[in-house]
Amino acid sequence: MKRKFLRRVVSGLLVLSVVAAAFTGCGSASASENSSKDSDSASYRTLDEIKESGTINIGVFSDKSPFGYVDENGDYAGYDVYLAEQIGKDLGVKINYVSTEAANRIEYLQTGKVDIILANFTVTEERAQEVDFANPYMNVALGVVSPENAVVTSLDDLKDDDEVIVISGTTAETYLTKNYPNIKLQKYDAYAEAKTAFENGNGVAWANDNTEVIAFANENPGYKVGIASLGEQDTIAPAVTKGNETLLKWLNEELETLGSQQFFHKDYEETLLDTYGADYEETLVVEGTK
Amino acid sequence: MDFNVINEYIPLYKNALLLTLKIGWQGILVSLFIGLIGSAILYFRIKILKTFIGIYIEIFRNTPLLVQLFFIYFALPKIGIVLSAEVCGTLGLGLLGGAYMIETIRSGLESIPVIQRESAASLGLNEMQSLWHVILPQAISVSVPGLLANVIFLLKETSVFSTISLMDLMFTAKDLIGMYAKTIEALFLLVVFYLIMLLPISILGTILERRMRYGQFGD
Repeated sequence: MKRKFLRRVVSGLLVLSVVAAAFTGCGSASASENSSKDSDSASYRTLDEIKESGTINIGVFSDKSPFGYVDENGDYAGYDVYLAEQIGKDLGVKINYVSTEAANRIEYLQTGKVDIILANFTVTEERAQEVDFANPYMNVALGVVSPENAVVTSLDDLKDDDEVIVISGTTAETYLTKNYPNIKLQKYDAYAEAKTAFENGNGVAWANDNTEVIAFANENPGYKVGIASLGEQDTIAPAVTKGNETLLKWLNEELETLGSQQFFHKDYEETLLDTYGADYEETLVVEGTK
Repeated sequence: MDFNVINEYIPLYKNALLLTLKIGWQGILVSLFIGLIGSAILYFRIKILKTFIGIYIEIFRNTPLLVQLFFIYFALPKIGIVLSAEVCGTLGLGLLGGAYMIETIRSGLESIPVIQRESAASLGLNEMQSLWHVILPQAISVSVPGLLANVIFLLKETSVFSTISLMDLMFTAKDLIGMYAKTIEALFLLVVFYLIMLLPISILGTILERRMRYGQFGD
């Protein structure tokens, strides 16, 4: 019986070491990949490869109205998707939409699951180290929404037990973690879950992109955006896998051309006007600037 | 792999491990409790309750834990029942596990030949005594492998807790990847911490199984 136990322990240790070895293996492999980053790395497809295959994979949100969502007919729609459609048209390829969550946008690019992320991806320094951003097509800042009867107007007023809802992998989460380490965060995987939880009365406030919280407060009576602009003004841009220069260059040219045609004003009027009204048009839209 | 990053992450994973274990064990205790009561009801064939247990088992064994958690955490508040995330996790795990535990213990009970029960009765033990002193000790030793498999299964099921904002191991890893994009480090720690949690249980299980079988058959 002792022997069997020993055997068990040894096999357990073996499993551990195999796993460790596998991971360090991965680690060194990707390190060497970084040092000699050439076109032979298979994690992205170049512009020509995409054109040749006839389909482009674009990662969008499926639950973030009005930027990327699935409409009543089951089709993708929204501000981001409007741009995606145009990209597909100008490239002359079919679009395969891949539904993403905030937290896996970078991974999807790094593993080559998508060619472009158009999921309301805010440009940040940390992210720019992992992926390549094209020129921006929208402005954004953070905002905080709370119930009308207990509006949060400053994050310094929160009590120790108060929890703020954030979505895992968003700029709101990073910003609060960095600048307000004492605030308790209640983290959710996806927009839909955070929204339901907030409506159910979990958390005293919900911090997210201000576009999102303004839309939420407009659509749901009883809620008020107490803090409309928190932190710095950021931009939203398409992202491609790090090093995918051909696609990046094409995207930038595309955004420039579209900008000169005032494409994003049209996009705003088609997709965002109902939610935000005309007041936010000039604040949100960016046309072909570097 | 960047070991500075790993060092930085370890405290976060430790917290997640403690939370996972806490809710995991609470859930397992609830499920064992449900398992014992439920299988006793099935064993004694108590009329109406027996049907209830049957329905309960079918509902909870045939829906994913994710769906059950969604229901408890997001739907119940709409009808005025608000539970904290931890209670929801415990309850969800307990109810799911309960359904499996009932079946495991029941199969143990049914594996004991009727003659044992009859012999106990002929010695003058009443139903309850014969269950407690004669049937249950033998049945449990038959059920132990199944029960342990259930325990490990339940601890692994905690990985869907991210849905209800509980920072379990899986969510911690996903969250860190989302924030800092150190994928390899985060996933490596995830695997290591799951093993740290589950290997000892698996080993302990082997020992316990031996002990229990000793009770029945000798070594």
